[in-house]
Parts: sequence; C-alpha cells; structure tokens
Amino acid sequence: MLILFLLLFPLLGAALLGAWRGANPRVAGWMSVLWSAVPILALKAAALGYDPGVPLAQWHLAWMPMAGMDLRFEADGLSLVFLMLTAFVTPFALAVAARVGNGGRAFGALALILQAMLFGVFTARHFIPWFLCWELTLIPAWLLIRLWGGPGAPKAGARFFIVTLAGSIAMLIGFLAIQLVAGTMDFDALADMAKDGQLAEAFSESPGGSMALLWVAAGIFLGLAVKVPLVPLHAWLPGAYAEAPSPVTMLLTGLLSKMGVYGFLRIMLPVFPDFLHDRAPWLGGLALVTIVYGALAALAATDLKRILAYSSVNHLGYCMLALFTAAVPGAGESAISAAISGAVLQAFNHGVIASTLFAGVAFLEARSGGLRNLNDFGGIRSRTPVLCGLMGIALFASLGLPGLAGFPGEFLIFLGVFGIRPVFAAIAALGLLFTAVFVVRLVKQVFNGPLTPAHAAIRDLDNGERAILAPAVLVIIAIGVLPQIVLHWSNPWTVWITDFLQLIP
Amino acid sequence: MNLLWTILAPFAAALLVFLAPPRFAKWLALAACALAMAAAANACLVRLQDFDAALWSFDRNWIEAFGIRFHLEADGISLVLILLTGIVAVAGVLCSWNVEKRQRAFFAFYLVIIGASSGVFLSRDAFLLFAFYEMVIVPKYFLIAIWGSEDREYGAMKLTMYSIAGSALVLLGLAVAFGASGTGSFDLLDLASVQYPPALQTWLFPVMFLGFAVLAGMWPLHTWAPTGHVAAPTAASMLLAGIVMKLGAYGALRVAMPLFPEGFALWRGVIAGLALVGIVYAAFVALGRRDLKFVIGYSSVSHMGFVLLGLAMANLWGLRGAVLQMVSHGLIAGLLFAVVGRLLYDRTHNRDLDALSGFDLGRTLPGAAVVFTLACAASMGLPGFSGFAAELSVILGVWQSDPWLLAPLAAGILATGAFTLRALQRSFFLKPASDAPPPDALPPLTPAEIAGVLLLLAGTLAIGLYPGPWMALIDDGLGSPLFDALLGGPLP
Amino acid sequence: MTPLLTQLAPESALVLTALAAIGLGFKRRPENTSNSAPTLWLALCGIVAAGILLWWTGGENAGTPEAMVSTNALSRLFQGIVLALGFVGIAIPPAPGEVRHPGEFHALLLFALCGLLLVAGTSDVLMLFVALEMASLSLYLLAGFSRTAKASEAALKYFLFGAVSAAFFLFGLSLVYGFAGSTSLTVIGDQAAAGKLPLFAAAGLVMVLVGVGFKLAAAPFHFWAPDVYEGANATTVGMVSAATKAAALCALFKILVVGFGGVMGSSDWGAFQVGWAPMVAALAVVSMGVGNFLALAQKSVRRLLAYSAVANTGYLLVGFAGGADGALAALYYVVVYALGTVGAIAVVAAVERDRGSDAMDSFVGLWKRTPGQALALLVCLASLAGIPPVAGFFGKFAVFTAALLGSSGTAWLVAFAVAMSAMSLYYYLAVLKQVFVRTSTTDENLHAAPLPVSHRLAIALPAVALVLLGLFPSLLLQPIGEAVVQFLNGLS
Repeated sequence: MLILFLLLFPLLGAALLGAWRGANPRVAGWMSVLWSAVPILALKAAALGYDPGVPLAQWHLAWMPMAGMDLRFEADGLSLVFLMLTAFVTPFALAVAARVGNGGRAFGALALILQAMLFGVFTARHFIPWFLCWELTLIPAWLLIRLWGGPGAPKAGARFFIVTLAGSIAMLIGFLAIQLVAGTMDFDALADMAKDGQLAEAFSESPGGSMALLWVAAGIFLGLAVKVPLVPLHAWLPGAYAEAPSPVTMLLTGLLSKMGVYGFLRIMLPVFPDFLHDRAPWLGGLALVTIVYGALAALAATDLKRILAYSSVNHLGYCMLALFTAAVPGAGESAISAAISGAVLQAFNHGVIASTLFAGVAFLEARSGGLRNLNDFGGIRSRTPVLCGLMGIALFASLGLPGLAGFPGEFLIFLGVFGIRPVFAAIAALGLLFTAVFVVRLVKQVFNGPLTPAHAAIRDLDNGERAILAPAVLVIIAIGVLPQIVLHWSNPWTVWITDFLQLIP
Repeated sequence: MNLLWTILAPFAAALLVFLAPPRFAKWLALAACALAMAAAANACLVRLQDFDAALWSFDRNWIEAFGIRFHLEADGISLVLILLTGIVAVAGVLCSWNVEKRQRAFFAFYLVIIGASSGVFLSRDAFLLFAFYEMVIVPKYFLIAIWGSEDREYGAMKLTMYSIAGSALVLLGLAVAFGASGTGSFDLLDLASVQYPPALQTWLFPVMFLGFAVLAGMWPLHTWAPTGHVAAPTAASMLLAGIVMKLGAYGALRVAMPLFPEGFALWRGVIAGLALVGIVYAAFVALGRRDLKFVIGYSSVSHMGFVLLGLAMANLWGLRGAVLQMVSHGLIAGLLFAVVGRLLYDRTHNRDLDALSGFDLGRTLPGAAVVFTLACAASMGLPGFSGFAAELSVILGVWQSDPWLLAPLAAGILATGAFTLRALQRSFFLKPASDAPPPDALPPLTPAEIAGVLLLLAGTLAIGLYPGPWMALIDDGLGSPLFDALLGGPLP
Repeated sequence: MTPLLTQLAPESALVLTALAAIGLGFKRRPENTSNSAPTLWLALCGIVAAGILLWWTGGENAGTPEAMVSTNALSRLFQGIVLALGFVGIAIPPAPGEVRHPGEFHALLLFALCGLLLVAGTSDVLMLFVALEMASLSLYLLAGFSRTAKASEAALKYFLFGAVSAAFFLFGLSLVYGFAGSTSLTVIGDQAAAGKLPLFAAAGLVMVLVGVGFKLAAAPFHFWAPDVYEGANATTVGMVSAATKAAALCALFKILVVGFGGVMGSSDWGAFQVGWAPMVAALAVVSMGVGNFLALAQKSVRRLLAYSAVANTGYLLVGFAGGADGALAALYYVVVYALGTVGAIAVVAAVERDRGSDAMDSFVGLWKRTPGQALALLVCLASLAGIPPVAGFFGKFAVFTAALLGSSGTAWLVAFAVAMSAMSLYYYLAVLKQVFVRTSTTDENLHAAPLPVSHRLAIALPAVALVLLGLFPSLLLQPIGEAVVQFLNGLS
C-alpha cells in the first residue's frame, strides 16, 4: 500500500493541479508544497514500525508474464534513506520556487511527477519498473529546465536529455542481454545468481561468452555513471545546473544525481561485484579524478551556481570512491561496512546540503536581480546576516566540518577507504583541501569583505524564507550530531552487502 | 459480438452516409467505427479468457474455379490489429469533426479504408487478403487529393503509385506461388504447406516482401510516407501511419514470410540491414526538417524500421516485438498526427518549426502541449508507453540473432530521441522573441478532439504499463502453424 | 422450324429488326429524321428478343463441330455476352443531330451485332472470316456516319487498316486450308496436333494472328484505334470496344486453342519453343507497353480509352500465353474489360453532350454535376485499373494467375503485365482526379442536362454488372469455365 501511495499520491496531485484551471499560481504553488510534503508523514509512520527483517512495503504486478517481467517494488532500509531524501527535498524545492516566483500549476505538477518517479526508482526491485521510473524522470526534469531556465536552458536541457538517454539505452541493451541469458531482470534474483557465480557461468555458456558479461556490465555502468556523474561523463552537468532555475537545480542535484548513486548501490554492487572487483583500481582512480577535477573546476568557476555544481561533482566523487573501494578484493569487513555506510550517508547529506545551498542562491538571486557571479557580491553579510549564517552552515557542512552533516559521511568514507586503499584516501584528502579552498573563497568573496554599493540595500531573509530554510539547516545539524538517525535505516542493508562483498572470491 | 461487424459496419456506413444529410455523416462514421472497435475489443477480451477455445472464423466458398474462399479468422495477431484499427478509426473520426467540405464523401472514403484494413487483418485467404489490401489504395488517394493541404495532388499520386507498385509485386508473388503450389487453393495454410523449390523462393520471396515492405515504409522505398503525410488531411495521416503502414508489415508477416521461409532465411540479413538504415537514416533526416509533419512522417519510417527489424530477426521475440510495435506505432503515430494536424495546424495554419514559436503554444494551447509531450515521450520509446515494450522485445530479438546490430540500433534510438526532443521543444516550448507581438488567443480544444486524443493516449499507456495481455494475444497468433517454419517449430 | 433456323434464330431476329428499323426510318417525316429514339428502342427490343430466342433455343448442342454453324455451350454463352455488350453499346444514343438517318444507323449496328454473333458461334474459319467482315463493313460505315471531318478520317483509317488486315487474314486462312484441307477448326486442330506445321502453314497462322490482332487492336496493329475512338460516334465506339472485342477474343480462343492447340510452343523464360505462344507473348508485351505508355500522355479521354484498349488487349494475350487455362481467364477478363470500357464510353458521351468535348477539363466537377455518372465512371475506370471490389481486379488477377498455372516460366511476362497494369492506375486516376478532386469555379457547371433513359441504362448497367461481378466473380466465371470444358470435351 505504501508503494502505491508513494507512486500515485504525487501523480494525483499533479493531475489535480493540471485540471485546476484558473488557479491562482501562488495558491497552486503552496498547495504543491503541502501535497509533496505529505509522503514525509507516510514514510515517517512506516519508519517507526521498521523491522529490519521484513521489507517496509512491497507491491507487484505481472508486466510481461511470458518473460517473467514483473513490476516489482519493495522498500527496505536503503530505499527508506533515499525515499526520505526525496520526500524532504521536493517540498523544499517547491517552497523555494513558490517563494521566488517560479511556482505555479505547471511547475508544481511537473515536480510532483518527478517525485513520484523518484519514489519509484528508489523502491523498484526489477529492472523494468526501475527503468520505467528512471526514464520518466527525464521528461519532467527536462521541461522544468526548459521552461523556467535561463537563456542557455534549451541547449543545456537538450544535452541533459540526450546524454542521459544515451546512458539509458546502454543500460537497457545490457539488461536485455541479461534477460536472455539469465532469464530474469529481477535485481534480487540476479544478486543471488551473482553470489554463487551462476550469472558468470550462464554468460560463459551463452553465444556471446564471458566477454558479453563484461560489455553488459560496462553498458550498465555507463548509464549509471552518466547520472551521478563520473568525470568524463559529466559534461551535461554544469550547464544544466547553471541554466536551470535554482529550485530545479535543487531537484537535480538533491535527487536526480542520487538516482545514479542508488543505482550503483542497488544494482552495480550486488549484481556485478566481479566487474567492480576486477577493475577496482581503475574505478577508484576514476572516482579520484572526479573528486579532484570537481574541486579544481569549482575553484576556477565564478558563477555561484557553477561553483556549487562542480562541488556536487566533487562530493559525489567521495560516494563513488567509497563504493568502488568497497569492492576491492580482500577488503576487511569493518572497512567495507564503513565505506558503504559513508557512501549512503554522504548521498543523503549531499542531497540536503546541496539543495540548501541552491536554495540560498535562489534567495540571493531574487535579491540581486538575477546576478550570481562571485564578483558581483561582496560583504553582504553585514546586510543579510541570517541568509549568510544559514548559507554558511550549509557551506561548512559541505566542507565536512565536524558537528554538521557532511562530517560523519566523509569521515566514514575516509575511514573505509583508508582501511582498504590508503593511497586513495591520501589523494582524496588532497581533494578535500581544494574543497576547503573554494568554500572559503566563496564565503570570503560573497559574504565578507567590503560591501559592494550595488547591494547596499539588500534585504535579509524574511520570516517565510527563514521558515523554508530552517528545516534543512536543522536536518544538517541533526545528522551532524546524530548520524544514526539515517544510518540505522540503512544498516541492515549495509550488513547484508558487506557479507555479500566478502563472499565474492 | 460478431467480428464480421468490424468489416461490415464500416462498409455499410460508407454507403449509408449518402442517404443521410451531410451533417449526420460524422455521427454515422463514429457509430460504425465505434461498433467495429467494440466488436474487436470484445473479441480480444473473450480470447484472453480462453486461449484454448476455437478461433472465430467465417469461411464461405467464393470463387471456386480458383479455389478462393471468403475465409476470415481471428487469431491473437489479427485481434490486436483490428483493435488497433478500431481505436485509430474512432480517434480519426473524432479528429475530423471539423471537416466541412464534402463530408459525406470524406467519411465514405474514410470508412472504406477502415473496413478494408480490418478485412486484411482478418483474411486467411491470400486472394481475399490481397483484395482488401488493394481496396485501400484508391480511397486513400481521394482522401488526400481532395481534402489535403499543399501539394496534395502530387503527394496523393506519389503515395498511390508507390502503393500500386507494391501491390503489383505482391500480385506477381501470389500468382507465381499459386501456380507453383499446385494446391489449387489460395488458403494461406495450404499455400504455406508447400515446399517451394529453393530457386523459386530465392527470387520470389524478395519480390513479395518488397511489395509489402513498400507500404511498410522500408528504406529506400519510404519516400511516399513523408510527402504523403504532409499532403494528407489529419484523419488520412492518422490512418496512413496508424493503419495502412501496418498493412504492409502485416502482409509481410502473414503472407510473404510463411510462404517462403527459405527465401526469407536467405534475405533476412538484407532486410535487417535495410531496416536499420531506415531507422537511422529517417531519424537523421527528421533532425534537419522544419515542417513538423515531415518530421513526424520520418519518425514513422524510423519506427516502422523496428517492425521490419523485428521481422528480420526471425525469432520469437523479434516477431512479438514486430507485431507489438505495429500496434504501438499505430497508436503513437495516430496521436502525433492528431496533435500536429488537428490540434495544432488547424488552429495556427502553420507547421514550420521556426515559425511556431511566435504562437507561444506552450501557453496558448497548454492541453495540446501536454498531449504532444506525452506523445513525444511515447515516440521516443520511454518506458510506460507502448513503444518501450515493443522496442524492448525487438531488441531482445536482435540480441538473440544478431547482437552486433545493436550498436547502430542504439544510435538510431538515440537519434530518434534527439529529433523528437527537437520537434517538441521547437514546436511548443520555444519562447517567442521578446519584441514579438503577443500571440493571438487560439480556440480551445473541443470535446471531440480531447476524446480522440485521450483514446489514443489511453491505448499507448495501456500497452506500455500492462503489455502482458497484448503479448499473450500476440503469442496466441504466433502459435499458428503458419509460423512454424519461421520459428523452427510450434510454440511451447 | 428447321434445325438451322433454330440455331440461327437470334441472328434472324437481329436481321429482321434491322430491316424494321430501316423501314421505320423511311416512314419518318423529314423534320424528325434526327430523332434516333424510336429506332434505338426498336433495336434494343430486337436485341432483347434475340437474347430471349438465344436462351430459348439454347441448352442442346446442335450441329457437329465440323459444321459451319454449330451451337454449343461456349458459343451460346458468348453470343449472350456479345448481345448484352451490344445492348449496352447501342443504348448509348447518338448526340442530338449527330446522326441524320437513325434508321440506317441502328440497322447497321444490328447488322454488325449479327456478324459478331456469328463470329462467336462458328468454329469454321471461312464462316469466321465472313462473319468478321460482316461486322467490320458495318462498323467502317458506322465510324464515319456522323460525317464530321474527324469521323471521316476515323472511318477511312479504320477501313484501310481493316481491309489490309482482312487480306492478311484471308490469305492466312487459305494457307491453313492448304495445310489441313478443311476450313473446320477441329479438323485443323487434329492435323496440327499430329506434328510440326509446315512453313507455309506457320506463315498462315502468323497472318491469321495479324488479322485477329487488328480486330483486337493489339499493337502494332492498333493505329486505327485512337482515331476511331476519338472520331467516331460514341455508339460505334461502344460497339467497337466492347462487343467486337469479346467476339474477336472468342474467335482467337477457338483459332489458337482448338485449331492450333498442338503447336502452342512455349514462352517460358529461357525455354522458348517455337509456336504461337511466343508470338502471342510478343504481341502482348508490345501492346501493353505501347498502350500504357501512350495513354499516359493523352489529354482526350476517348484517346486515352483507346490506348487503354490496346493495353488491355495485351493483358488478354498474356492469358493465352498460359495455354487453355489462361485463355479461359482471358475469356472472363474480356467481358469485364468490355463492360468497363463501354460504361466509360457511355459516360464520356454524356459529358460530351453536356460540355461538347471529351477533353480532361470537361470532366472537372462531374461529381457535382451528376454524381451518378461520376460514380459509374469511378466503377468503370477502377475496374479497368484493377481495383477491388470491382470486377476488373479479379479479372486481371485471374488472367495473371492462370498464365502461370503449371509453369512459372512465364513469370517474366506476367511481371511485365503486372508492372504495366500498376502504371495504368496513373492515367485512370488522372481522369478520376478531374471528376472528383478538381472543382470548377463557375456556378454554371453545376447543372447537366437530363439524359435519355437509354443512355442512363448504358451508364448504369455496366457499373452495376461490374460491382456484382466484382463481389461474385463466380457468376460469370463458373459458366465460362463449364462452357469451355463442355466445348473442349465436345471436340474430343
């Protein structure tokens, strides 16, 4: 029931908004905020009775019975982390949108569709429903970028769409090969097959041979890596993040990029451990490049949104690093467990922190008349202490300051990576240094220093805006202090995957 | 309900429209098409409940001297395709609600195409099938030539000559097959039961297949499709892309391939190659076109490439995918043409992608924008829509037979995504220049349009979200002994 | 009554009616001489009477096959068909004032019809020649009857070509007689079956073919056709194109299948054997090519129909390339063809009455002026083009299929025929385009003068017959098949 509720309730809201002709955009906007926040309650209620042994919720429908294709959804602890994130960030972004004037019927409806599809992605356990929801996020996301974005939005949106689509096709073709060879596309069934080597065996007996499995895994890897993104595949990201209106960027970075991370956790690790296993050094290197490149590019950028976009690349690089390192052959149990926990936590944290940062940028843009270059501002802290304070918390959280959300995640990641590949940890630490540099530069350039005359009359956040940012900041602080509130959801899964990875020869 | 109605009702209505006042013509057409659709839907449901029951059939002596029988039979493939015909027909009538000029003749020609198409899908006698197949040509010509837009006479004539040329090849194939079979019967099962000499199959199969493939829009014989679509009135475009192109693919599947399995085995590589070229080529041409109908016309060619590719794979998944793609493309193409021809062109009188931004359609025609977005999503093959289930099946078929074809295929799918996206954003979501005058208010969507469009949309979503029953029906059809030689034995 | 009188009762009825018509013409007052209605109806009554007599006296075979006039199922059937076609042809009234002496006019038509009846009824080459000339001489006169410059030119051309071909025919017959020692086709057939023809007899066969080819308007003996079709009055054209063709084809059937069945040879690709089959195939190819390509360029509908007649002769001859089975199909198709052409000629005559010209432009807006005529023209031309559900579709299909029965070696010929047939749709559609698609701007075009009843009959009957035969080809195919079987059995 929970699954159906999560899938259909936002869609119902979208339909209502669509049908509600002549609605006042403000009313419609706030209605969408409330509507998209309802799943938080449902999830919270479900989480209260959460028993690690049994799935939170499940639902399935025979889709193409002759091929055993099912629309199978099942939510477990790992899903819950990402579901919570979705349930939280969507109303957050919608509230910001309503506040800065992007909101309205169409915006709300599209965001609600996006939310429903994300819920689907995070609960689907069979490739078909997972891919269905994965692909259907494209259209609303593209429209959100396209319709409310800046002058470069058409191009950025199209690039976002096409690159993602290319990755999707690679995944689709890969999974269809699995269907033919293994006879199923169910993630759990495939994980079982992978565990005792049946999958590799089936492929080696198929006409394509073992090479086919390699290609298939590579295709799926590609599709997921585009979404995260890993570095050579990130070209769509800065443009899309920068050109999209800030509330949409919140959704893009807070949620859509998590689809990729989740895909790695849910599919890549359990189904293709060998693939990750065999290429662990290379993949780890790729993640390191992502981390360092993201940080350096953020350093070089001057557009606030581009800086934050690259910083997203950088932060998700840590997730990927933890993931890839966890698959290194012969890793110890505690290290794997730490790395995986860190990756999950980092994904959640990044979702919250990055969306908070973009929300801050949105409010800043609303005040500066759209200006958002690093050099357009200076010293506004004296005029807008609350905005700068809240943004500052988020920025330092992203830097990994202890006591804030970023810290436990990155700490666990470093702990895990260091236990397995100390060199990687060392290089990643270098990336951390660059991160610190660009965060500090941002704070210095925008908030501190002499006040630019253009912004002498800039207003601070009003109560409404404070109310919008407050929950996010609270979450950041809460997780910084008590990371267990997220980790206790995902722990059962982490234990399972740790055992699983250790069993891989 | 008797399936004979799917043929009789449209034909009868085609005559009856001339007896009633012109303004009743559309109601009569709607009633006939709805009846046909209901009969088909009912038959599908009945079949789904019991696959072991005897097939509906209607078998009468017709032309004894040539062993020709009036033999209709409804297996699963026929059923899904007549259901498609019914749905597109109803939607087409609803999207022709505004036809003012010579209404009676319009709907008469329209209904003849519907009835004849249902006839093709139900026929089990090769001659009967061919007769229905040919019956479509002339009404199609008039529909386009009389009610079309620019260059209509040229577009109509080109389409007609391509069609008749294809028919000529089919006719030749049938005549030679009949002579060579020595069975004295035109029944498809009888004709297919004969082992034709390999030398004959080698040249006769491509002749016949090509004949059917012309209508299916196979590259490089596809050029009638874009020009025909551009010239055609909305309903004719919908029929053309939605049903008529399927006739060709269906003929290839039902007649050409089962009759000459060895010839098919010999040529299937070539067919697959041409299909792939078609998919990729059409997608890239569509990327560069400005006329929206042209773009959609090419997208039809590209999508029909999937059907041909599925057929060429000659395995269960390929054939399943081909049939499902026929249905899927029928609905999606119908939908696209309904939006572009009826919702958009009839209001703006403009199909130029560069000029449409002046109308700011995303704002002035939000309903159409939503529908077109969904239609484009379906056309791209996004999951949840019918195109996904069909393309997935075709890809499975390709994986099984010729995996190396997947690389160009992937490029084709990607290019399809690209041109569809381009068409979508240029048509509806381009902001007008800031100094442009505010766009005129456009008339809102009418109930008939909305009903027609929703019907097609519901169809494509029904397949996309729940393809199980459709696939079961298709499997039922593929279980016919006709396909044994193709599939290497009866289905389990 | 003596047996001979019983056998010749229909012919006698026609001759008596013709005499009565002349008498009626003499009795008319001078100011009324141009009113053709009374003699026309008299002639029609005579034909009906002849038909009744034919039916009455039919059933029994009378006379041995060697006799000059022998009654058998085939000749009875074809006499009936010729009478029916003659009825339709004569029912087209000459335009007011076109014919000065209607009594003589209709008498000549009846004489021509009488000759054609004898052509269909005999199996004796001498009688065949006499009968053909009886018909031809009347037709030469009729072609020039209206005394315009064009009519005179037509008549002269017709006469000159006809006379030359008659000479060929007669000389050829004399050579054949020299070979067989008899004028009876059965005897000739027995002789020819024995072995190879001597050279002179072969030359005789060629000459006979030339002679019949002329009557059938087979290229390259077709040069008279366009001028006659264009210049002569419509009644005569109806007679020349329909009844004459049917009778001549019946004669050709007897000559080739009965008289020279043993020296058929083969026109199979790569396996040519000397005989009449390769010659007929060559004639067919040339006729189809010339007819179809020249028809493409015509602006006058009459000339277009003339070239279509040449082309259709080609299709008919294709049937003969398939031997007796194919010839049977050709006998069926000639009836269908004749109906289509005579119906089209009747509509052309009606349009000429109204517009004064048979140019394409005159047909613009016919659909608005007189929907009935437009519909009849649609049926007739669709039949000629071979579009279902009208009869021409199955007719062509039967001819092409039958030509391939037994051997697929003639596939090259059928392929060419099918291609040409497909192409022909272009020019038929060009006419129909004027009728249905183009609209004239002036209002005066909206009304047409009412037609005489007989003219309406001439327009409606073929159309109705074509639809009926299209839906139920067995109505005619069955009797022809049985008659041919009986006839051939009667010989052996």
